[in-house]
Amino acid sequence: MKRCKALGWLLALCLLIGGQAQARLYDDVIASGYVRIGVYRDFPPYSWEQDGNAHGIDVALGQAIADALGVELRLHWMTPDETLDDDLRNNVWKGHYLDKDEDNPLALKNVADVMLRVPYDRDFSYKRDALGLLVNELVVMMSPYHQERWQLAFDTEKLDAVRTLAKFQYHPIGVEIDSLPAFYLTSALQGRMREQTHHYANAREAFAAMQQGRVSAVMAMRSEIDWLLHETGGARYRRAENGFPAMGKQAWDIGIAVAEDSRDLGYAVEALFDRMIRDGSMAQLFARYGVTYERPSLYMAGS
Amino acid sequence: MKRIGLSTGFAVTALVAAMSTASVAQAGVTDEDILNDQMTTDDVVSNGLGPRGQRFSPLTRVNTDTVKELRPVWSFSFGGEKQRGQESQPMVKDGVMYVTASYSRVFAIDVKTGEELWEYNARLPDGIMPCCDVINRGVALYDDLVIFGTLDAKLVALNKDTGKTVWKKTVADYQEGYSLTAAPMIVKGKVITGVSGGEFGVVGKVEAYDAKTGDLVWTRPTVEGHMGYVYKDGKPVENGISGGQPGQTWPGDLWKTGGAATWLGGYYDPDTDSILIGTGNPAPWNSHMRPGDNLFSSSRLAIDPDDGSIKWHFQSTPHDGWDYDGVNELIAFDYEDNGKTVKAAATADRNGFFYVLNRENGDFIRGFPFVDKITWAKGLDDNGRPIYDDSMRPGNPADAKKGETVVAAPSFLGGKNWMPMAYSQETGYFYVPSNEWEMNIWNEPVNYKKGAAYLGAGFTIRAINEDYIGVLRAIDPKNGKEVWRYTNYAPLWGGVLATAGGLVFTGNPEGYLMAFDAKSGEMLYKFNTGSGIVGSPITWEMDGEQYVSVVSGWGGAVPLWGGEVAKRVKHFNQGGSVWTFKLPASAEMASR
Repeated sequence: MKRCKALGWLLALCLLIGGQAQARLYDDVIASGYVRIGVYRDFPPYSWEQDGNAHGIDVALGQAIADALGVELRLHWMTPDETLDDDLRNNVWKGHYLDKDEDNPLALKNVADVMLRVPYDRDFSYKRDALGLLVNELVVMMSPYHQERWQLAFDTEKLDAVRTLAKFQYHPIGVEIDSLPAFYLTSALQGRMREQTHHYANAREAFAAMQQGRVSAVMAMRSEIDWLLHETGGARYRRAENGFPAMGKQAWDIGIAVAEDSRDLGYAVEALFDRMIRDGSMAQLFARYGVTYERPSLYMAGS
Repeated sequence: MKRIGLSTGFAVTALVAAMSTASVAQAGVTDEDILNDQMTTDDVVSNGLGPRGQRFSPLTRVNTDTVKELRPVWSFSFGGEKQRGQESQPMVKDGVMYVTASYSRVFAIDVKTGEELWEYNARLPDGIMPCCDVINRGVALYDDLVIFGTLDAKLVALNKDTGKTVWKKTVADYQEGYSLTAAPMIVKGKVITGVSGGEFGVVGKVEAYDAKTGDLVWTRPTVEGHMGYVYKDGKPVENGISGGQPGQTWPGDLWKTGGAATWLGGYYDPDTDSILIGTGNPAPWNSHMRPGDNLFSSSRLAIDPDDGSIKWHFQSTPHDGWDYDGVNELIAFDYEDNGKTVKAAATADRNGFFYVLNRENGDFIRGFPFVDKITWAKGLDDNGRPIYDDSMRPGNPADAKKGETVVAAPSFLGGKNWMPMAYSQETGYFYVPSNEWEMNIWNEPVNYKKGAAYLGAGFTIRAINEDYIGVLRAIDPKNGKEVWRYTNYAPLWGGVLATAGGLVFTGNPEGYLMAFDAKSGEMLYKFNTGSGIVGSPITWEMDGEQYVSVVSGWGGAVPLWGGEVAKRVKHFNQGGSVWTFKLPASAEMASR
């Protein structure tokens, strides 16, 4: 926690930047003895809390970052907003406008030093608004560590196999609400799967609905499907082999974000992640959660 | 009033009785007070100056002749670092003003001096995500209670003298995206509230709570297919599914999460004994996912205050694809037509059309554009249903890679947004705070949400005219004629007040409280309050003098969502205060 102390010049500095967030540079992080890692709240298999303990792939990666820097890990739990642009604003460069400290109104807002699970996509990083200005110019997206894609799992007692999506003109399928699978299944292919699409608060609830026999399949991110299958065990629920025709983005890379002026910190994380990807420890870490590890496209060609 | 227990001894009873007599002027607010609010000029005990929300006062001391002499009496600061949009309407009862401020705060102020009597600060949890600034639109008064809704979707009743919590009820789960920002309303001893929550996944509802205890009385979902309940001895009893059954106007299971949030609250028409309330846009935003009318989204509902049954509905934008919420206020008023009194109700919709309905059955009487530019529809048919221009519906993101840009007018912030209009019983005109702006909408395949690829829609709002966006219009509901207009550089975002003194008051983001001649539209007075006005003015009488109050504090949805319009407003400074005005004694004398 960064709080203003009532000490001469420091107070003056606090007054200047009161109510704002300030990026911590690499040296600040090392000197403070901790690093704040931004992870999403309640989002298995990446990050979630259970019985007071933090779990997940991104939490473990946060620990690896803290260890590499020789500092303590502090988790910055993020509530997802409507888009990633909002999350970057709330958690990396500006802080959230509701982050107020009643007793200390001049306190800096809490932001993450490093935010995980940020897409690594040139088109997104350099996205421009209607006036031609960069949308996310105050953050740097770097260090791709994972490639994510969509996956379908189905109940073998309801369906023999899922080779094409045509099945879901006739069989119910569960998706997370307001996700791309929800958009896709209710509006693609002339909406022919629309009537069979059932919406749930998240992938876990959709999967639970499949276990209760209310839907025959679930579509979600592959890591989520892998983890749910891993947690469930047995052979009843299986990965499908279908493709997703007419879907714009089938797979995408995931990396980190740091504030624009703390690239040094980003480079330190990049060096660590690069080593972990090359020596196989990244894949081992994902395997602990039963999740298939796919290297980001940067590593596909050669390595 | 204090309650006297049966077991209390005679002496105590007598003492309490004596105290009650002494404090008779401090009596709590009754249903009758609220029903008569429009005509009782010494207080303001309802949102909208009367249950119908006409925002018309019969006071005449401040009038077209004297208003130029209006002077500030005091200004009260909400203080703190919490200077966000102030969209509240103050209430005044027995010399005390009750007003809410950003971040779910309530203040009680001595109206004679402007001194604070008490302040209530809701303790908001971490992780709430209100969509559109941390605003609040005001309190309800009942008995000795001051009742308001918080950003974490709770109703809180405070003691009017101490500001201490008497009861607190959770209306909805903020973790599911719900919030409360509207002023609650009192109808027949019940607190009526809607819910806010633009996020995908919420289902709108209207609920009634016993005003004195906070016990839930009934709940009515505003999306077709959901069961309504009345509560008997704390137990829910089924009271019919909204719209009869699910799946009539929604595909698949989308009715389960259909949106239609009732985020602006409503008003009450005592004549027909109906709550008149509007509903927000359907979810999800992409209309191609949900063919059908998607009832009761973007609609006006008449609801029975006794059990929450829907008496009738009128849908202004069926199958909405532009985010044209239907929450704007539906104001009951009567007019003469060939010697017959028509029991009507009027609303100026986000979608740019002004509707006059029969408030006894919801029938469409007439409708007409109240903004200069409407592109999404070619007009209204005989039943008031829009005649769509299909080329103006935003594209299906599943079909398109980037998609074409659609230019639609009005913008999704609406020909008119939340800011309440006024109806003058003197002129018979509605005074409508409106905005001339349009939006570009395009598919945005390069977007992400929570670490996953996502099909978003990009949009930006633009002014239609170089020199103004805001237009205050005097509109004749009998023929759709615009009688006069005042144009404003920045968008208008504050409520309007009409008086029998021949005046129309409103504020602008530039900071001015303004008064216009109700007949000609001539600006007769303006005063800069130091920050933008996005609240609703009130007027009342005390010790033979007429007062006007308004909150000042720039914010709300425009600076958050305004697109190119944000350029026009970015230099406006934030604030947070109440200003109170009256005529100096000399001007008072001159007017007699």
